[in-house]
Amino acid sequence: MPKILLWLSSCLVVAITASVQAQTSSAPATATPETPASANLPSVQALLSKMSQDAARIHYRGSFTYQNQTSIELQSFRVEHWLEGGVEHDRLLFLNGPERLIVRDGQPVDCKAMGDKLLQRSFSQIGKTLASMDQLYQFEIRGRERVAGRWSRVLQVIPKDPYRYGYFLSIDEETGLVLKSWLIDENARPLERYQFIALELNPDIAQIKAQVLPRQYKAAADVTPCNPTELSKPSAWQVAWVPAGFVFAGQRTLATGQSMLMYTDGLTTFSIFLEATSNFVPEGVGKRGATLANMSRLVVKDVVYRVSVVGEIPVAAAAKIAQNITGQ
Amino acid sequence: MSEQNRPQTLAESISALMDNQASELELQRILKASEQDAEVKATWSRYQIASSFLRGEQVRGEQTPVIGSDFAARISAAIDAEDALIEQPAPATKKAQQGWFYQLGRVALVASVAGGMIIGVGTTQVVTQVASNNPVVAPAPVESAVTLPSGINSPAFNTRTVAMQTGYETRPQENRRVMFQPRQAGTTVSDDEVSRYVNQMIKAHSDNAAMNSGQGVLPYARVIITDEE
Repeated sequence: MPKILLWLSSCLVVAITASVQAQTSSAPATATPETPASANLPSVQALLSKMSQDAARIHYRGSFTYQNQTSIELQSFRVEHWLEGGVEHDRLLFLNGPERLIVRDGQPVDCKAMGDKLLQRSFSQIGKTLASMDQLYQFEIRGRERVAGRWSRVLQVIPKDPYRYGYFLSIDEETGLVLKSWLIDENARPLERYQFIALELNPDIAQIKAQVLPRQYKAAADVTPCNPTELSKPSAWQVAWVPAGFVFAGQRTLATGQSMLMYTDGLTTFSIFLEATSNFVPEGVGKRGATLANMSRLVVKDVVYRVSVVGEIPVAAAAKIAQNITGQ
Repeated sequence: MSEQNRPQTLAESISALMDNQASELELQRILKASEQDAEVKATWSRYQIASSFLRGEQVRGEQTPVIGSDFAARISAAIDAEDALIEQPAPATKKAQQGWFYQLGRVALVASVAGGMIIGVGTTQVVTQVASNNPVVAPAPVESAVTLPSGINSPAFNTRTVAMQTGYETRPQENRRVMFQPRQAGTTVSDDEVSRYVNQMIKAHSDNAAMNSGQGVLPYARVIITDEE
């Protein structure tokens, strides 16, 4: 039995090899496989722009599943997204466990956050020193895939340094919405995965707004004002090293009093939290799912600060960032 | 060797090498061709990506993406692996373990290679050609055939888990647990405190992620809403 299977599969390869050769020989103009990334960069760029620009402008209701490495549990969610008066509205309902809802209102759709600027290559305000995305990641379109009953383009994103993770993104051809997203660690293992199972475009907004929302565990998401800062670096802190391509995307003070500094390279984000404290500061690395928190202690002018670097980044990156933070 | 059948025999040889079945002669032929023909390198590279992902192995080094990797080094590695197999035949018990499932895995591997190749060329229709005297097996519908890593592996993180519950979880927010690795062993840290602190920061960080990672509201799925809120 195994021999037969093996033999059949060999035949399959031979047959396909033959057909592939037929294709390539009849189309000699095909881009050379030596430079796959640069050859399809224009279409990769279009795809990334579509993902960051168009998906925010559509109205949809969808369901997706989420799973991460530290929990075997498969979570499911319903997400609703619509625009009203140029402002984005999101409702994220947890479909497992107690009724929990995250409400996110108020992000102007025209807001070009730093991440969007990086993805859309509008680099004018950022300056010339910025590494462009294809120096940070290798992008490859791996074909088409059907997800949630819709056709999507599969984009494989491989990091070029050990300070960020890779991705498989299946991007809806029509809307630019990410229908499926896998975050891949340095050993090519998935850290977390999202996948839509259903998507309805242009749902009845009036009906969505009329829904009775669960009263329990409702949380309003913090919405950072668009372009929260015109600063190109944090005002009160020196962050002497971040991995290549990461750009300061803003800062704000949380309700709990912590200062939060935001960084992005366009696809990957991390945040730095700082607070003065008189308590004992636990130092070490906390991890849940793909998100990592490097917690450390920093003394500036006799004041002890609790410093945490939080993001979907490898521990090597988080630790090195933390080591390079100083007061001003 | 004529222009027309050269690539086909080579492709067969590469395929054989992938399966550790290539002869000494075939190996020489591949090495020689790889010096002159970029397509040979590319083919080998595609085969490796597909099979690596399927086995859930590392597909790139710390610094370099797989496509840029050195072809000759990969060939040498393959040769090393092959020699080891020849010199040390697997003990009978191991062979029995491999058995049927192992063979099935190989079939899946080869099939995925086939799928990957179709994608690579961007065909929109299935083309089948009879290769000399072998019967043809029609490949699966090609448009959806995308090679992806399989399975989520168990956490490699060497930590103690900050969680109050053990065993089978009856409480609904099982995924709130934070794995914590203290910098110094023996540090007394309140599990609750670390867990709460990290979860609170993940929530704040999700705003950054939602704004700046191009994936909309998806990062909020990482957020734990605590009972206090």
